[in-house]
Amino acid sequence: MSQFAILAASFMGREGCGNDRTGLRPWPAEVSGPLERGELEALRWSTLFDSETSRFGRMDMLSRLGLMAVELLDAGFETLEAARRDEVGVCVETRSGCTATDDLFLQMPLASTFAYTLPSTVLGEICIRHRFRGPVLCLLPVSGQGGSVETALGWLNRGEAGACVCVSCDLMDKRFAASMLSPHDAPSGGWQSCAVLIGRRTGARRGQPWRPEPLPRLARLLVGLGGDARGAEQNSSSLW
Amino acid sequence: MDPAVTAPGVSIAAGGGESSRRPGATSVAIAASGEVTALGLGRERLEQAVRANAGGLRDCPRLAGKGYQSTVGGYVPDEVWRSLRERDPAHADAPAFLLADAALREARADLPGGGCQAAPGSPNARTGRRDSSLFDSVPASRRGLVLSTTKAEITALESAIRRQPGSEVARRHLFPALLAADLGAAHDIAGPVQCVSIACVSGLLAIQQGALLIEEDKADLVFVIGVDLFSDFVLSGFTMLRSLDPGGCRPFDAGRNGLSLGEGAGAVALARRDALASPALLVTGWGSSNDANHLTGPSRDGSGLALAMHRALKKAGVAPRAIDFVHAHGTGTSYNDAMEGLALRSVFGAEVPPYCSSKGLFGHTLGAAGLLETIVCLIAARQQLLPGTPGLRSPDPAVPDSLLQKPRPARSLRRLLKINAGFGGVNAALALEWEGG
Repeated sequence: MSQFAILAASFMGREGCGNDRTGLRPWPAEVSGPLERGELEALRWSTLFDSETSRFGRMDMLSRLGLMAVELLDAGFETLEAARRDEVGVCVETRSGCTATDDLFLQMPLASTFAYTLPSTVLGEICIRHRFRGPVLCLLPVSGQGGSVETALGWLNRGEAGACVCVSCDLMDKRFAASMLSPHDAPSGGWQSCAVLIGRRTGARRGQPWRPEPLPRLARLLVGLGGDARGAEQNSSSLW
Repeated sequence: MDPAVTAPGVSIAAGGGESSRRPGATSVAIAASGEVTALGLGRERLEQAVRANAGGLRDCPRLAGKGYQSTVGGYVPDEVWRSLRERDPAHADAPAFLLADAALREARADLPGGGCQAAPGSPNARTGRRDSSLFDSVPASRRGLVLSTTKAEITALESAIRRQPGSEVARRHLFPALLAADLGAAHDIAGPVQCVSIACVSGLLAIQQGALLIEEDKADLVFVIGVDLFSDFVLSGFTMLRSLDPGGCRPFDAGRNGLSLGEGAGAVALARRDALASPALLVTGWGSSNDANHLTGPSRDGSGLALAMHRALKKAGVAPRAIDFVHAHGTGTSYNDAMEGLALRSVFGAEVPPYCSSKGLFGHTLGAAGLLETIVCLIAARQQLLPGTPGLRSPDPAVPDSLLQKPRPARSLRRLLKINAGFGGVNAALALEWEGG
């Protein structure tokens, strides 16, 4: 049996949001309509969290989604001592990348937007908020191969990290996708974000054995989307 | 160590502290390289420039007069573009594919035993080298590819916004994963294909991923390719950040005033050491980190980059004093170069090994930087030469004084360290070991 386990998992998408303890909860009424329509501007930090973040308002949507998924883990990172933060690795995977932000930058070029025209900027925001200084990687999955969970397990097995946060976040406008890609290649459009924290088994109550599933599916299963997760992923939130 | 308890039900235990280089682990070597830069196509031109310390930065006529802070950079010469487009008209408006494909062809041509049909205009094309025994001896399913890029075919999005015509293939390659998949398909690579996009450390982390594919026995031959373009998109962004030096970058210079962008592609072929007959440059260690400090600026104390270097050295099982040469990021911005100086002192103390920057050779090529600069390390090792720092006039007295202004013969160049840093506070280091000389 692997010495590593999933210590926490979170998911957010059109269906709602939650983590492995809370299960999936519906969005508050005031944002459910806009989020169903993909109007992510309606999603504020205060919609879900009481904590403070001065940076959220300046971030692009992809970074907001990734940062919120990590916060939803409710893993108590704020109590982690500094030396441990140096051992927390962060691996991001994103199929859409920052194409929405690239499009925005070309329509209205601003220095504040340019900083977010990299798929990995979300990783920087996560590390800044939680002071993580462990190993990092940002993967753009090819042919359905994700890789962030496998990357994290590699870091853990080789002793390169003490714990890893894996994040999958995507945001794709259907019309943009249709304008850039052939019907065969174009994703259906949509958004979702999820995260898992993987670390050494310690007998912790939240420990879940690792399963060889792509991260979005794994997170869905762990927050209780259960048996229909595979179908739900394909029907409502699959971006590719 | 005791676990550090965090939230109810969640605890994070300490990681391993020992050297992570396992006895008997597979040795991964750089078997070949391919390159397209401002200096032209092929390693011969790059070697000449390294030996002569001759930079390839010029003003770019196709982007001049648009109000950018500077259009001086490392852009691929028009005659190279012409030859690549003539050879592959189907990708004529897909420049990122053309560059990456050319670098990959060069790397295949450079493999032991010969190579595939090289890119037109390259020395390999003139010598007529053909498909190699190493390439052919590896089944397609055991060949892998890792692509490193920050913006891929960003010019396709620029064209779409301007409502200019563009091909379907160019628009498709706006998505880097699809560019990686198409490169793999074009070169009969049916094994694992990955795409890494993590700012200016993409290249080094792509090499790391390629080495892992071999170390973990998922592939026998892996092509790692880095590519990025000299585009309106990137030039306008760096103009807004006021980060470009109108006179061309001067890394580690007392009067440095910003960076120079570049375009190009670099490719290395990674293989098991025992698949090669001649002395090789081994990839022995890697490490990465985040500053957790700032999105577009480096940490002021260099501690994040120092962490990445320590991790790479630990993985390689090498002490800092054993390093003979460091190839630095050296962008020419005030903050980056100062940060690197501090990071080098933090790791090496008073005995910082000789170090240089190659940004004055071909500019800052973003997703290709880690690949092209690792190829400079390969050239340095093969020729037992410590490269200089083109563009440097008057070294900053605040940075370590082992800075190499001009190339000089090395007494013994065996262990090398390559470092990069980038937006989002990311840092990476790669430890290399030369078997010959």
